[in-house]
Amino acid sequence: MNSSLWTVMAFTIRNKIRSKAFIIMTIILAVLLVVAGNLPYLIDKLGGGDKATKVGYAEGQQPQIVQGLKDYYGQLPKPDVKLVSIAGSEEQLKGALEKGDIGGYLTFAEDKETGFPKATYNAKSAFSGGTSSSLTAALQKIKTDRIIKDAGMTEEQKKQLSTPVSLDTQKVSFSNEKGKSEEEQGMAIGLTYAMIILLFMGVMISGQLIATEITAEKNSRVMEILVTSVSPLKQMWGKILGTFIVAMLQIVILIGALVINLMMPQNADSLAKFGIDLSTIDATLVVYAIFFYLAGFFLYATLFAAVGSIVSRTEDLGQAVLPITMLTLVGFYIAMFGLTHPDHILIQVCQYIPFFSPFLMFLRIGLSEPAWWEIALSLVILLASILGIGWLSAKIYRVGVLMYGKRPSMKEIVKAMKAYKV
Amino acid sequence: MSSLKVNRIIKNYGDKTAVNGLSFEVSEGEIYGLLGANGAGKTTTMRMVLGLILPDEGDIRYLGKPYGQEQLRMLGYLPEERGMYPKIKVSDQIIYLAQLRGMSRKDAEQNLKRWLEKFQVPEYYNKKVEELSKGNQQKIQFIAAVIHNPKILILDEAFSGLDPVNVELLKTTVKELRDAGTSIVFSTHRMEHVEELCRNITIMHKSNPVLQGSIKDIKKKFPQERVVVASDGDITGLESVAGVNGVFRHEHGGYELKVSAPEAGQRILQHALSQGPITRFEIMEPTLNEIFIKTVGENHE
Repeated sequence: MNSSLWTVMAFTIRNKIRSKAFIIMTIILAVLLVVAGNLPYLIDKLGGGDKATKVGYAEGQQPQIVQGLKDYYGQLPKPDVKLVSIAGSEEQLKGALEKGDIGGYLTFAEDKETGFPKATYNAKSAFSGGTSSSLTAALQKIKTDRIIKDAGMTEEQKKQLSTPVSLDTQKVSFSNEKGKSEEEQGMAIGLTYAMIILLFMGVMISGQLIATEITAEKNSRVMEILVTSVSPLKQMWGKILGTFIVAMLQIVILIGALVINLMMPQNADSLAKFGIDLSTIDATLVVYAIFFYLAGFFLYATLFAAVGSIVSRTEDLGQAVLPITMLTLVGFYIAMFGLTHPDHILIQVCQYIPFFSPFLMFLRIGLSEPAWWEIALSLVILLASILGIGWLSAKIYRVGVLMYGKRPSMKEIVKAMKAYKV
Repeated sequence: MSSLKVNRIIKNYGDKTAVNGLSFEVSEGEIYGLLGANGAGKTTTMRMVLGLILPDEGDIRYLGKPYGQEQLRMLGYLPEERGMYPKIKVSDQIIYLAQLRGMSRKDAEQNLKRWLEKFQVPEYYNKKVEELSKGNQQKIQFIAAVIHNPKILILDEAFSGLDPVNVELLKTTVKELRDAGTSIVFSTHRMEHVEELCRNITIMHKSNPVLQGSIKDIKKKFPQERVVVASDGDITGLESVAGVNGVFRHEHGGYELKVSAPEAGQRILQHALSQGPITRFEIMEPTLNEIFIKTVGENHE
């Protein structure tokens, strides 16, 4: 009867949602995501912009270059470096740095070979990345300008030289659908990336939870009463579906928190600056994302349930689920590789392997143009595997829950299946 | 008609036989004792009765019907190794288990409250199981087995780990259930409980039923071999009475004699009376404990 399936589901959901671990975990993750969602805005507020680093130089040293630097930063709308002249030698500069008057200072040494002095940026920390790269760019410009001036080029020629090369990447579409613009492509990569991580985390966390709960039920011997009250199949699926709904709820809360924050007006500008536009997300991609998420979840959840059922003690569980954990890890890393090489032969082969296809087929749909039969074949194999593995897992579960003692071997499980006539 | 009828069930695990041709019947309002040493096949038998595993041969009938979903609902089971969800409230898990057996939430709640009142622990309704003492967990476990008013109840070591007061409490409850018409299969190593509660028993040994029938009949089959005699003073020369095989003196006065035949009792009584007044004299019937050890022990060789 379906009512008992529902009872198991409701029980699983109720206990999960009420548990402190779940509540705390969700709140922490939500807070983290809210912070992450506001990160572009925060970077804008806190970062460079208004706060230029004061860079000191010894008065009178390399006046030409210093003037060049001043001109360069003077042209910028938001200069990130402000040059400060300090009277005296390097000792005074050092003193100013120590007092915190300046963020760093420049010293120059003659370099006969290149004819351009060697500059050193002295700062309290060797990792003053932003400032030193900004200075490098500025010095490069000054050097170029100087050489150009020596070569006697016209202003026109100078302008031509400084115009950057233009290279646009356009993805060619062979099917009838419209090709993706660069923005859409960027969003697709972002969505694919997010989806792969979500799937990986969803599978790992929920799978471990399912396995742990089943083992705990066995360990505490509640199982003996449960199996006499409700059929193992319903019990297993009730647990998997219950955990699934909880996981969904958690994801909805988290994504909701993130999206609401991204929609906030103060974030809209920052997002636009980073080229993120939520409206360019392809709807079909979202449908595929949901489908592959579901498929991947249930494929792995049944496996975890089967493994959980054959282990009697929670201490032994970690070792027993290791092979499945490895499978998800392999899938995850192949997918990470595939983000940059979506048409690599490895991806093209692995997209048919059911344990990897939830990661990879989605990736290919998002980033490449797989033929319709590739998608269909992968889907058929995946669905068939879910049914097959679900069926096998239910069988293992049926005998596993009653086997106590040491972890049974494959042979013992098969023997037990025959004995129990399942 | 018997509530539970087990007919020549056989179960093999690979080449090992776990239960070999066991038959028994439990009628309405009867407690049936299933005895046996560890590993004799009791648990396998109970699992077959519960429908967890199917017998290779033979069949089990519940109120005349074969095993099915409806039958599952009228079974109650108290497993030997106790198990509850430690971190979940008593009410939540008992109601969950009752619902799984087809009870409505409301009925389950009412029943649980009634049972907690009966065991004088109504305050446990909202407690987590891990907060309770072992004995009280056992009470909760017992409630879990009977909450749905099962027609057939299987109790595996129902009283182990309980103090004498709680043993009495549960024993009374089991008797009440029996009087209300529940058929109970009762398995334990405590023979005095079997003697007190069961009408019929099966003693299993190494997968085979070796002794079956009503306790009265079984006892008749075993000779009365013990005589207890006591007086205020000492009784001498008991060893020399014909038919006496051994004499043991009890710590608190009195003698226990092993005899070859019950008739020797009369000679012992006469011998003792000739030395003075007697405060106690009894020809003991064999205890179930002795019968069990004898049956299982003999078969060991």
